[in-house]
Amino acid sequence: MGGWVRYHTNERLFATTVKKRHVMRSWAALEDFEAFLDAGGIVEPVDDMPEEYRDEVFRFIEMHANSELMGGLTERDFIPKAPGMQRKLGTLAKTQDEIGHAHLLYMVAADLGIKTRDQMLEDLYEGRSRFHNVFHYRVHTWADQVAIAYMIDAAALTTQQAVFKDCSYGPYRRVLRRIVAEEGFHMRQGEEMLLRMADGTPRQHAMFQEALDRWWQPAMHFFGPPSSSRDVLLRWHIKSATNEELRDRYVQKFVPQLLDYGFTIPDPDLRYDEPRGRWVIGDIDWTALKQTQLNTGPDSERRIATARHGWDGARWVREALDASAARLESRVA
Amino acid sequence: MSTAQTVGDIRDAVAAVNDPEFPGVTIEDLGILRDVRVGADGTVVDLVPTFLGCPALGVIADDVAAAARAAGARAVSVRFVNDPPWSPDLITPAGRRLLAEEFTVAVTGPAFVTCPLCGSVTVEERSPFGPTACRAIAYCESCRNPLEVMRG
Repeated sequence: MGGWVRYHTNERLFATTVKKRHVMRSWAALEDFEAFLDAGGIVEPVDDMPEEYRDEVFRFIEMHANSELMGGLTERDFIPKAPGMQRKLGTLAKTQDEIGHAHLLYMVAADLGIKTRDQMLEDLYEGRSRFHNVFHYRVHTWADQVAIAYMIDAAALTTQQAVFKDCSYGPYRRVLRRIVAEEGFHMRQGEEMLLRMADGTPRQHAMFQEALDRWWQPAMHFFGPPSSSRDVLLRWHIKSATNEELRDRYVQKFVPQLLDYGFTIPDPDLRYDEPRGRWVIGDIDWTALKQTQLNTGPDSERRIATARHGWDGARWVREALDASAARLESRVA
Repeated sequence: MSTAQTVGDIRDAVAAVNDPEFPGVTIEDLGILRDVRVGADGTVVDLVPTFLGCPALGVIADDVAAAARAAGARAVSVRFVNDPPWSPDLITPAGRRLLAEEFTVAVTGPAFVTCPLCGSVTVEERSPFGPTACRAIAYCESCRNPLEVMRG
């Protein structure tokens, strides 16, 4: 017990990372490392790894961690506004879930030794790092919240499932396994909330349609622009499917569902390819995605400022914990 | 209708319900299922929550009721009981193995945590609450993996 008083003191965490134990694996050349990955090998934190691989894994996990945190804060905004006690409890639980996921992911990312958790948070609050495009938009109504729970969580789940099954970096793959199980639970709540809107009054139906019109393009952007054939994330088995494949998987599943519920997909070029038995979407305009990547999306500034406000507001708690830990240590010494 | 076979079927169906956050781990494995009674008036299922504020209780109750009905139960009522309360000691050995596969350990009181991945005891608790209020976040300094710890 006790240990958690120093949970935020990352600098020390660095100093205490264990380097012995486990037989450390190392590879003479990049080709050997890649052959190991191609054979389904899993890289552990104690292993030697090419710096480029370390960088890529780190960037990928940092972005995921940032996104869980920003997503949790989005969810939090709706705790006071949720319609009814049941929904309020659901929103609270989901907020806790996302922040918990961020916590787990920041630990895995910090362990790679590129940035401490505090550095990652500073970079996020200064707008120097990235988080997923969908958290750069304003959430207008409860229907947007339902769209996030149903459409955006499903998009996240689609990409996460494709990573965790075959990801070559061990700790990330393990955390994802837990996250995927919990996101599945969110999706179930999202489906139930969507059903309520779809079967509700004409006004509720119209409300969700408006939200769908707002969130469809961000959902398509979520999967990213078409993957390059030289994408190292694929080459090093950090991801196992291209952005295009994942977007298509999502479209095939969600277009018929949304149409079944009586909604219209805001894509004039959407069509059903009879001979192939598949839904085909129109060309995607990437302008909005590029803006979110530069942290200049429609709501980026306010969201980053809100997140920083929370971090600054809790500074005294961190200082008190540090002081308490220092006192305990001086007593032991 | 409550032949011995139906009673057994209902019990088995309820016991096989999965925890919503641990697919593959049943409510019986976790020690959440306390009692199933099938009588002339209907079926009563007693569940003991891992903690009272658990946000998944509604979903678990729905799943249990649906499973009981599918096995032939009528007038199903699912109740939450808390005396004696849940404790990690109620988790079955099979449940512990399954949780270990999910990098989760359950301990009673302030006991030391052993890493389910590498067996090391260099596990440090980092946050009293994790993705849910019933699980703390810990970190194994040996194999450098995050873990989740259920305490009771």
